[in-house]
Amino acid sequence: MTSSPIQDTTRRAARYVLVLSILAIATGYASAFKTGGAPGWAPWMLAIGMPAALGSIMVLGAARGSKGIGALKLPFLFVFVVLASGFCLALGLPAEAKGATLLFGLPLRAAIVIYGIGLLPIVVLPVAYAITFDTQTLSESDIARVRELAATRRAANPGSER
Amino acid sequence: MFALLQTSLPHVAQPVVIGVGIAYFTVIVAISVWAARRTRTASDFFVAGHGIGLIALTVASVSTSVSGFAFIGGPGLIYTVGLGAMYIVLPASVTNVMGAWVLAKRMRLLGEARGLMTVPDAIGARYRSPAAQGLAGIAMLVGIIGYMATNALAMGVVINAIFGVGIGWGIWLGMGVTLAYSVAGGILAGIYNDVFQGTLMAVASVLVFLFVLKVGGGLGNISNTILASDPTFLGPWGKMTPLAALSFFFVFGMGSLGQPQGVHKYYMLRDPMQLKWYPLLKTLGLILVLLLYFGVGVGVKAFVTNGMMAPLSAPDQATPSLLLSITPLFLAALVFSGVAAATMSAANSFINIGAAVVMHDLPIAFGKRLKNELFWGRAVTVLIAVAAAIIAQKSGTMVAFLGIFGWGLFASTLVPALAVGLNWEGATKAGAIASIATGLIVTLALETASFRKVFTFPSGVTASAVALVLSFLMFFLFSWLTRRDAKNQIDPDVALIMEL
Repeated sequence: MTSSPIQDTTRRAARYVLVLSILAIATGYASAFKTGGAPGWAPWMLAIGMPAALGSIMVLGAARGSKGIGALKLPFLFVFVVLASGFCLALGLPAEAKGATLLFGLPLRAAIVIYGIGLLPIVVLPVAYAITFDTQTLSESDIARVRELAATRRAANPGSER
Repeated sequence: MFALLQTSLPHVAQPVVIGVGIAYFTVIVAISVWAARRTRTASDFFVAGHGIGLIALTVASVSTSVSGFAFIGGPGLIYTVGLGAMYIVLPASVTNVMGAWVLAKRMRLLGEARGLMTVPDAIGARYRSPAAQGLAGIAMLVGIIGYMATNALAMGVVINAIFGVGIGWGIWLGMGVTLAYSVAGGILAGIYNDVFQGTLMAVASVLVFLFVLKVGGGLGNISNTILASDPTFLGPWGKMTPLAALSFFFVFGMGSLGQPQGVHKYYMLRDPMQLKWYPLLKTLGLILVLLLYFGVGVGVKAFVTNGMMAPLSAPDQATPSLLLSITPLFLAALVFSGVAAATMSAANSFINIGAAVVMHDLPIAFGKRLKNELFWGRAVTVLIAVAAAIIAQKSGTMVAFLGIFGWGLFASTLVPALAVGLNWEGATKAGAIASIATGLIVTLALETASFRKVFTFPSGVTASAVALVLSFLMFFLFSWLTRRDAKNQIDPDVALIMEL
């Protein structure tokens, strides 16, 4: 496989972040086995680790050739910030006082979770995927290259598809 | 997804409900007859000849993603633990597009280049390893047995509620219909039945959600009713600990990349360029289907609080009780048919995937290829369905146990090897095998120990989460230890697909 330095940098960084975030999540779980249950910082490890893990695996998947992730940097950053800040606000904000104003029909922290984490990424990610699809994900020429290489392989190994 | 129905539903066998139920089964039969005439090869049977259009594939994928849990078990869980239960479905905001970036293009192109049909096929091609393919197949088969038994029981419960035939007959009736279309039309019948079933589920979900909002006077009024008596319910974690709720998000978010019923569908899209709109459409479809999950869970809590509904005898009664006491009977009939649809749709998908593992992946792992894959595919389909129906009639506790670990097992055995492996040329066969074996052994050991009460997890920690984390770590560790020459172990066509 031919790899460019840019691709290597992007994918390598994504892999390191993925490993570190999985370690953070593992640390959060491991701490729960201590006598007396999970310490207060344990959920924070997941609150940061999960968005980082999901974001990094998306970067790993989206990176291609010498282009890295191109214009997708911003949507990925946006989603990491939305998820991480949503979890952290849910953890850090005080419980709502009785009679507090509702936000779109829900208490503030619930609204942050349902609308922020549950709906906001939908407005950005699938649209970013569609907009950048032709340049970042797949083109007719990519498919032609794959078909050509597959045909060559079949010709070299008749009777075996895999 | 999850255990579906662990309690009996009330009998709703009234003319309107039976009429809608019969109409539903008639459409299923008609679609199946049509599909059976178009199924001629193993590729038709298992991946619909790589020829499904975007809209059909999207709706079918939504349909198989949710299962009956979204209509019955999920709202009941919200009613019990509050908003913490939403962390099971909240990841849907990112999982579909994540799956598209990480897997969809590469799996679809592997299908194009190699004619692959199964998820273990992709693992076998990526690592040039029949052993990794076979091990992935075995792990999937274990998960499928659990899912199938749970779905068969759920079918029995729902069909008994609609037609009043008893759970035992309900299981055989539901499985018989599912089996008929699975054997005759394979995944092609499954896909187009899923399109019908998914549409039915979306319509029912939206109508029930709107009805709940109307009866409750809007979401604000519903919230105020709940906050007056039980403010924790609408806290960001509900009645769960933050760690437990976040664990749901991790297992159902990251774990989505290893669910074969979703991942397998990437092979089927007719034109790879149509992937462009797939995540957007699927996410929107899922939101519609999941409106009922949120609406009924929160709505029933408010209606029980203000005395509009009697307290529930069991959490799973949330949806049926709401439908029978507040909504028009026709809407109740539509939802009951929708639940039957969801269970049958999930069962069909798992039967098909399980049959492919038995007649395709396992023979390859042992260095053999069956000559008539279509015939054997049909035969194994019958065996799996009958086995699932028999297991479903055993103890409900055992079936519940089998159903619980399905999602986690798929996640811990497949996500690192498949999702990371297809995007990292440094991943090795040893890493993949270590990861799959770790996921399988840890999930089975911890779930069994937990089920037999040999061991109790600390609050917020689950076997699925521990297995997924360990599987990732083993994958990276063994790949790193065996990293020498890893890049040269990849076939050129697979390497090209990974680089694109």
